Amino acid sequence: MASHGVSRVAGSQTRSDLAREKELQQIARYNELVELVNRKVAERQYTVEVLSLTTKLLTENPEYYTIWNHRRRVLQHLFLSQTEPASLSSDKHQETLDFITADLSLTTSLLRQYPKCYWLWNHRYWVLQVGEARLQAVAARKLWQGELQLVTMMLGADSRNFHAWSYRRFVVGELERIPAQPNEVVPSKQSMVEAEFAYTTKMIKANLSNFSAWHNRSKLIPKLLDERESDDVARRRMLDDEFALIHEAFLDPFDQSIWYYHQFLMSTLSSRNSRESAIILDLTDTDRKRYCEQEINFIKDILEDEEDCKWIYEVLIQYSTSFPSLNGNESIITADDLREWLSKLRGLDPLRHGRWADLEYTLGL
Amino acid sequence: MSLVSGPGRGGGSDSALPQELQLFVDKHVRYIQSLDKRKDELEYWLTEHLRLNGLYWGLTALHLLGHPDALPRNEVVDFVLSCLHDSGGFGAAPGHDAHMLYTVSAVQILATLDAFGDLEARVEGGRRKIAQFIADLQNPDTGTFAGDEWAEYDTRFLYGALNALSLLGHMDLVDVDKAVEHVQACANFDGGYGTGPGAESHAGQIFTCIGALSIAGRLDLVDRDKLGGWLSERQLKNGGLNGRPEKKEDVCYSWWVASSLAMIDRLHWIDQGKLTAFILSTQDPELGGLADRPGDMVDVFHTHFGIAGLSLLKFPGLAEIDPI
Ligand SMILES: [Zn+2]
Repeated sequence: MASHGVSRVAGSQTRSDLAREKELQQIARYNELVELVNRKVAERQYTVEVLSLTTKLLTENPEYYTIWNHRRRVLQHLFLSQTEPASLSSDKHQETLDFITADLSLTTSLLRQYPKCYWLWNHRYWVLQVGEARLQAVAARKLWQGELQLVTMMLGADSRNFHAWSYRRFVVGELERIPAQPNEVVPSKQSMVEAEFAYTTKMIKANLSNFSAWHNRSKLIPKLLDERESDDVARRRMLDDEFALIHEAFLDPFDQSIWYYHQFLMSTLSSRNSRESAIILDLTDTDRKRYCEQEINFIKDILEDEEDCKWIYEVLIQYSTSFPSLNGNESIITADDLREWLSKLRGLDPLRHGRWADLEYTLGL
Repeated sequence: MSLVSGPGRGGGSDSALPQELQLFVDKHVRYIQSLDKRKDELEYWLTEHLRLNGLYWGLTALHLLGHPDALPRNEVVDFVLSCLHDSGGFGAAPGHDAHMLYTVSAVQILATLDAFGDLEARVEGGRRKIAQFIADLQNPDTGTFAGDEWAEYDTRFLYGALNALSLLGHMDLVDVDKAVEHVQACANFDGGYGTGPGAESHAGQIFTCIGALSIAGRLDLVDRDKLGGWLSERQLKNGGLNGRPEKKEDVCYSWWVASSLAMIDRLHWIDQGKLTAFILSTQDPELGGLADRPGDMVDVFHTHFGIAGLSLLKFPGLAEIDPI
């Protein structure tokens, strides 16, 4: 009902009588299966047999959310009918683990075909959470580690899949929470921030246009610095390294992702930046001015080879006007500069002419 | 408002418009009417989990096209109410479980058809009951909303909840301040919002977050220039809009991006003429309907969001739509 990227020609061909007949048979078979599953669940037949009927139906139609709910009802019943907690008896433990593993492999194969189906990601998360309550910590942890591999595979296939990125953040949260050692009363510190930060570096190096990875990086850096208990020198080094990384990326200045990340780095210099997204903690106005001038000068240099890149003019105006400390007698920017950049911007980017007109008005040029 | 346009003309007002700037109104009306007559196609049955949404999309498009009676009102109301559970929630179709997504569509349809009276006549206290179902899905700790009893959270549900509750006149049942706090927690440095705290900015989620803030009367919390800048960059050279940086254009974002821009008074930050032309280019001129991109298969989802986008852009002959 919401199709994406399917060519019209393929869909609008008129069906032959034979194809039509075949489709009617498919419909009858499908509706029979739907009716059967719904009836058995209505009769509360929460059995392994019904579980496998839902497998069949969900394989044909993974978007049928009610059937995923039915499946959960059946699984809950099967878990609860175990007389003793699974973690105490190895038979029951294995049985629980088998149910969970079966649901994971079902959803893995469906995710390969339907990587953007909300219900598949939801079901995985649910089955693991329910399972965790009934499994030994070591087994549960192993399952969540498997999830990290799965999501890495999914992001390998589509590095911008936002379902997968969200799921990755969930999985990391779980792995940080579950004790790494059995019988551990107080879980030892097992943050994955370093590993996740390294993962974004890897993803960015593979494809600079991966804004999802840049985004995640922007969220991880402040946490990383806090966890490392970085001193001021280390924090400044982090910001310098990030600027260096993005300067390398400027080789293709037409990519939006890198400009957004550059804007993120610059936003951390603002006096209004919040503590939870901070990189350097004790910024002075002199620091702000120095970083700002450094970046503006760097970007001006790119301008010499890339006169037709509108992003350059846009950020030059933005940075020059959003940092009041740049103003004053020693300012490296003049009103003439702003006027020239804005006129370039208007010429290069006529789609957003209304925005540039507003900007001109706001700046009083 | 009446539209006087024959097949292949459309636009309602000006038959002198060049072919590529015409809206094939009659074909779209017939396309939407045909949707429930496709029971001999497997796809019809495989999409039953979207039936109530589909009805909302089709009905809204018909209202915008100036053909509000093209689907029989009583049959629509009967169908909607047949999806209502004792809990006060609606499923996608009879026999499907209740969920926020369908409950919101049901409330929107009942509001469009001015049918809350029909609801009360058949289910005493129906409005209040539906509102309570929605209110009970709010998480008291975080302020956000679950989709159903299985407790999956997403800013789509938060927006849907506030939208439906305001239509039902029962905003008093939820903690609006907490919900606003949650939206704030989903904000990113680029001015946008994601599915939850920590998630990347996405035009669809921005629509839900800005819509929620708008209903809550808290648009003062938005950095309009920053968000407007990000949203305006969704427009690509071909006039279409994408949902995130470095992604392809798609008609459904015509609505999410443009209505978000309208809510923060920045719709003039994109080229509206080019967007109009892009949306029109995705029409199927033979059988009606709009697709995600030119030449692709049409569906009722993109037909609705494309026509809603055109309405927002004040395309001649279309009824006006509220951006929220
Ligand atoms: Zn779309």
